[in-house]
Amino acid sequence: MSFDWSFFWQYLLEPSSVYLNGLLLTVVLSVVSQLFGTALGLAAALARLSTLRPLQMAARFYIWVMRGTPLLVQIVFIYTGLAAANILRFHDAHLGFLLIAGNVQAGILALSLNEGAYMAEIIRAGIASVDHGQAEAASSLGMTRGLLMRRIVLPQALRLIIPPLGNQFNIMLKNSTLVSIIGVPELLLITETINSATFRTFELYTVVGLYFLTLTTLWGLAQRGIEARFAAPSPESAGAVAVRPRRFALRNLINAGSQ
Amino acid sequence: MMSSVAATSASAAIAAPKAGDDIVVEAVDVHKWFGTSKVLDGVSLSVRRGETVVIIGPSGSGKTTFVRCLNHLETIQQGVIRVNGHFIGYRLRNGKMVPDRPRNIARQRRDVGMVFQRFNLFAHMTALENIIEAPIRVRRIARDEAVATARALLARVGLGGRENAYPAQLSGGQQQRVAIARALAMRPAVMLFDEPTSALDPEMVGEVLAVIRELAQDGMTMIVVTHEMEFAREVADRVVVMDKGAIIDSGTPHHIFLDSRHPRLRAFLAKTRFQAAS
Repeated sequence: MSFDWSFFWQYLLEPSSVYLNGLLLTVVLSVVSQLFGTALGLAAALARLSTLRPLQMAARFYIWVMRGTPLLVQIVFIYTGLAAANILRFHDAHLGFLLIAGNVQAGILALSLNEGAYMAEIIRAGIASVDHGQAEAASSLGMTRGLLMRRIVLPQALRLIIPPLGNQFNIMLKNSTLVSIIGVPELLLITETINSATFRTFELYTVVGLYFLTLTTLWGLAQRGIEARFAAPSPESAGAVAVRPRRFALRNLINAGSQ
Repeated sequence: MMSSVAATSASAAIAAPKAGDDIVVEAVDVHKWFGTSKVLDGVSLSVRRGETVVIIGPSGSGKTTFVRCLNHLETIQQGVIRVNGHFIGYRLRNGKMVPDRPRNIARQRRDVGMVFQRFNLFAHMTALENIIEAPIRVRRIARDEAVATARALLARVGLGGRENAYPAQLSGGQQQRVAIARALAMRPAVMLFDEPTSALDPEMVGEVLAVIRELAQDGMTMIVVTHEMEFAREVADRVVVMDKGAIIDSGTPHHIFLDSRHPRLRAFLAKTRFQAAS
């Protein structure tokens, strides 16, 4: 076995700016897609729980298609397929000083749509787990369905949604590599590019694996902190101290999700 | 199907109430089925302003279901329910009763306070937040005013110092008293109590009943479903006895507990603690 240690250490510890840009793109793609996906999931979950039959059916159909086809197929379909059929072409867009490439837009769209379907099921389960008496009490006080969902049910469902949401983001970090197929220069595509020039496949894929392992490990630590914040208030815990930041964080999350 | 059935037998009750008769709650010939089993079989009940009506009866007699119909937590298939002269859950269209819009139903519920067997306090909110939520969001009362009212109500139910406690930090009896304060904060025309002490440990029953007793003395219009016979005898202006989905007898506590010779009522009372106590 020939393993070029100096090559390995160099790429691991002194990554080029191209490599770091790839890392940044991986993180941005994942975070943005997770946010959109969560907002989409919330909308789909509420649609599924709606009493309006067409809305319910639309949500069911969306979830069925997105969970029933490979993400890789969805990515190619959205970027290359739609363009080939002259339905939709993604053009580079300028957002102020920021240039968002067409394939990045398509990648975010595909990742978000896919994520939305999984988040819909998670959010629906979270809502269903809240004691029905909570909604009944809210209705008996004259709250409309929208108000009681927003003020009473969703904040309580959040505690059950947070852990699987963290898990989904872990998956998202790794699944974002799939957009390399449409040329988005994230970490994997950068690695492939360097590989085709150096043929140090073993070393390069070890390095990229370690980068992802670091990302998911850091996220795992963050997730633990977030879950501790959202834990159920125990009868012993001093409410005011333990719970205030929880509700603050909830507001942030909802604001972020709706942007 | 539901609306047309409701229309036929309800027509007599649709006429507006006569002025000055001061009826707050009026149920006329209410029928309800769960699937094929009939749970309410033509229940009619009028409650005057300031009156305390206590509903008793064996389990499964339909008393909880009936009270839940009064703020449309349950649908009905026939009959009419009015609170403060407004139909509950349904509206008239071309002479027929049809299901009302959700927004209207929500509006009607503002005037009907409800206290549940299992308290149902909002678990993620403090006692104070539980009480001010609906006045602020539904009645659009200024926050300062809502907080002041909530504090007064908490003091009234004997929980002056616990405004920042979460439901999980309160005993069952305390939670139920907060729930009563929460319902009162909406200034309802009538308060419905659905077995408010059934989920409580025996030592906490008294503190909740004391609050309800005080409300009765203050002239609040109330309908109370309970198994507490002593309490019923003490606070009720009128006791209503339900069995098998129908009202089988009603009258003063004296009439119900001592005079009535209704065989099913006597059999029911014989099974309760009341018999031993009287």
